[in-house]
Amino acid sequence: MKRRSFGQLGLGTCAGLAIGSAQPGGWLQVLASELAQQEDRHSDSERILVVVQLSGGNDGLNTVVPYRDELYAKSRPKLGIPSSDVIKLDDQLGLHPSLRSLEDRCSANRFTIVQGVGYPVPNRSHFESMDIWHSCHSKKDRTQSGWLGRWISEQNSNPTTDSTAIHLGSEPLPLACQERGVQVPSLSSLEQMRLKSKVIDAQSLEMKSEKTASSEGSGSLLDFVSTSTVAALQVSERLEKILAQPDASGDFPKTAIGDKLRAVSRLILSGVKTRVYYVTLDGFDTHANQPDVHASLLRQWSEALSAFLSRLEQSGQQDRVLVMTFSEFGRRVSENASQGTDHGAAAPMFLAGPRLPKIIQGPNPDLSDLDDGDLKYKIDFRSVYSAVLDSWLGTDSRKALDGDYRAEARRLELFS
Amino acid sequence: MFQTTIRPDQELSAIDPKLAWSAWEATNQEPWDARRVRHLMRRGGFGANPSEIKQLVDAGPAKAIDALLGKSKSQSLDAFEQESAQIGSAVLAGSSIDSIAAWWLHRMLHSPSPLVEKMTLFWHGHFATGADKVNDTELMVQQNKLLRDHALGDFRQMVHAVSKDPAMLLYLDSASNRKTHPNENYARELMELFCLGEGNYTEQDVQQLARCFSGWEIRRKSFRFNPYQHDSGLKKLLGQEGIESGEEAIDAVLAHRSMPTFISGKLVRFFVFDEPNPTAEFLEPLADVFRRSNFTIEPLVRTILSSKLMLSDWSIGKKVRSPIDFVVEWMRNLQMTTNLDRLAKGLEGIGQALFNPPNVKGWDGGRAWINSSTLIGRSNLIVDLLREPATRFGRTDLDAWVKSERLTSQSQWLEWLETSLLSVPLNASDKERLQSVVASSDGGLDARRKLLVALSQNPKFHLS
Repeated sequence: MKRRSFGQLGLGTCAGLAIGSAQPGGWLQVLASELAQQEDRHSDSERILVVVQLSGGNDGLNTVVPYRDELYAKSRPKLGIPSSDVIKLDDQLGLHPSLRSLEDRCSANRFTIVQGVGYPVPNRSHFESMDIWHSCHSKKDRTQSGWLGRWISEQNSNPTTDSTAIHLGSEPLPLACQERGVQVPSLSSLEQMRLKSKVIDAQSLEMKSEKTASSEGSGSLLDFVSTSTVAALQVSERLEKILAQPDASGDFPKTAIGDKLRAVSRLILSGVKTRVYYVTLDGFDTHANQPDVHASLLRQWSEALSAFLSRLEQSGQQDRVLVMTFSEFGRRVSENASQGTDHGAAAPMFLAGPRLPKIIQGPNPDLSDLDDGDLKYKIDFRSVYSAVLDSWLGTDSRKALDGDYRAEARRLELFS
Repeated sequence: MFQTTIRPDQELSAIDPKLAWSAWEATNQEPWDARRVRHLMRRGGFGANPSEIKQLVDAGPAKAIDALLGKSKSQSLDAFEQESAQIGSAVLAGSSIDSIAAWWLHRMLHSPSPLVEKMTLFWHGHFATGADKVNDTELMVQQNKLLRDHALGDFRQMVHAVSKDPAMLLYLDSASNRKTHPNENYARELMELFCLGEGNYTEQDVQQLARCFSGWEIRRKSFRFNPYQHDSGLKKLLGQEGIESGEEAIDAVLAHRSMPTFISGKLVRFFVFDEPNPTAEFLEPLADVFRRSNFTIEPLVRTILSSKLMLSDWSIGKKVRSPIDFVVEWMRNLQMTTNLDRLAKGLEGIGQALFNPPNVKGWDGGRAWINSSTLIGRSNLIVDLLREPATRFGRTDLDAWVKSERLTSQSQWLEWLETSLLSVPLNASDKERLQSVVASSDGGLDARRKLLVALSQNPKFHLS
């Protein structure tokens, strides 16, 4: 029996994982068709983006340290990383010592630091600034939709594949992944998706939501909960099959971010056709006692990232997965009196995975030219998004970003 | 023509604010009946059992709100407080967060004044403070008591008390606030999240307010003012000049014109509807009530709960149930008791860990409660509760309880569940599907329990 996709049900492009999976072309067949997959492994349509969000405002200056800059030492008498401790990238910049596991990626040209990323009129509220990064809009003209959500709504070419994007984490679905009619599953873990008592299957519910959608207006709360339920049951059914296979994801650090990236690697290596994964690491709001906290967070991030990239290399898939890391803002240049830093503005972004042309992109931070104590931005984050959507994923970024940032993106030369 | 009723399908923007917040009155189309009592008890409390509902249908809406506040139940209130204090002192000795969450769940399940617990939960989400960072259960319980004591009282007093609350100041890094480079964390959140909302202050205001709080410290688990670390210069805050102390600064924040609208808006979203965000104009009648009561919370909450908008059919099904809403209401209706430590852990798994809100903004609520994991998790939690050996229904097992309630046939059972647990009625195809589930052999549960689980997987279950 052929199963209809959400689009045909009039529910919009609801990209539930493995929609239409009742037909034989579901995940099991995908798993079996290794050969076919290897043939087009490196085509654009198979490239994958993993977004890592560092929540709370990562201290960019102590992540990529201008260790030669006297103003840096002056602004950070207690928190500054001494030049003897940094992992030197060149005669100006060095990485925080907790990022040791990324050193090899830098020398192998598989890691890029994009310096001074931000946006005009920086907002120093966590929630507002995060919403700006997610929606690509300032408050006044914002709707409840995000850049990836809008991007997903355009990617409806293949109705039989898996969900276009998956969010791994127990926090609510990030605004970046939201858009009316788009369903991005949020999974707190793969194992948690096992239904303990399966009394209803997705298919019977899907038939039912067809009726719901026609009687209630689409976009109503009931409509939303109905489509979410169908998607949840479908994901659960698909994951049961994946989880039945042995886990070959190898060594990952036993941290929350390690678990999430391990799950992502497991999905990718199982042949899941999802193109975007979204994970977060929280705790970067270091107003007090920053040194130990920040060192630990950077270690969690870099070690999980490094394990993830190694796993992809072992399976020869390192050239098709790009990991993009960002935070909602950097921190104030001058430290505060609680051995911490307050909310700032511009900060670096990080790209990792495939071969990349340069280790450092964009001008180094200018600590002599500040805006109310904060670094000025030199690169709009939307031009980095544009490079990722246009050049890496091979799609058109204009609708997703609600603007044309392609010229700026080309000047960045992030991808060779 | 002058409009006097609100149609269920009316857009919010088409509803007159004065009409929306005027007192609801029974009409032929919308009588004060069991359905409406359940709706009010569900939103203002955690649901009610059949005998309570019968009493409240006779008593009328104003008396129903009194009942939510536990008025005229002073005897049962004393007995309950005694019991809760006993559990409280036992769990504090163990200092585990799951246990203090269990202690609070016990209050929500058994309190004779459920609206007080519901408001305490509201303020916990508003003045969100996370136990993982504070790392001191005693201070978390102390804060919980502070929020409960002020839950329906003077909002300004509550803000002053919260600003010196040790758990809050530890959470927002103000435990040692020094004169040089004061820490901006609490100053920012006081304006952005606790009183005014983003966009109603400038970055200069954040910096000036942080100066006012310099010298505010926590020493040996208590608030202390350290004059040597206080910046005693005069500050200009929110357009007011000549502000010196932290207390004066809090008063200046509270006097800002956007405060009453901001607080009213959060309460409306908590009690009445999730979407869309109401405009300042729509909230103005409530802001006015708040101002005229000198910012006492109870009159504002009463106005909201007894309003036309709240009690008309318009608001039924307009909220997504929070994990706590659905579990506590479920348990109150089924007269259920269980291992509350494990229940607290289970609630954490579906997005509402008591004493550990996700961040300083609290729980987003609305659609954010629902995703693939939480939907599967909600159903799994119900299966876990049914399988938990400590679970009892009216002090006995489910089968004996169902017999004593005369709900032995499947159709009686389904009808009872629908009436007591759902806000949005089931349609014919829902019922057909539920009946086929019961008939199927899959699931590993008997028919009675299977129906409960199946209902929890029906989308309507998640609406309030």
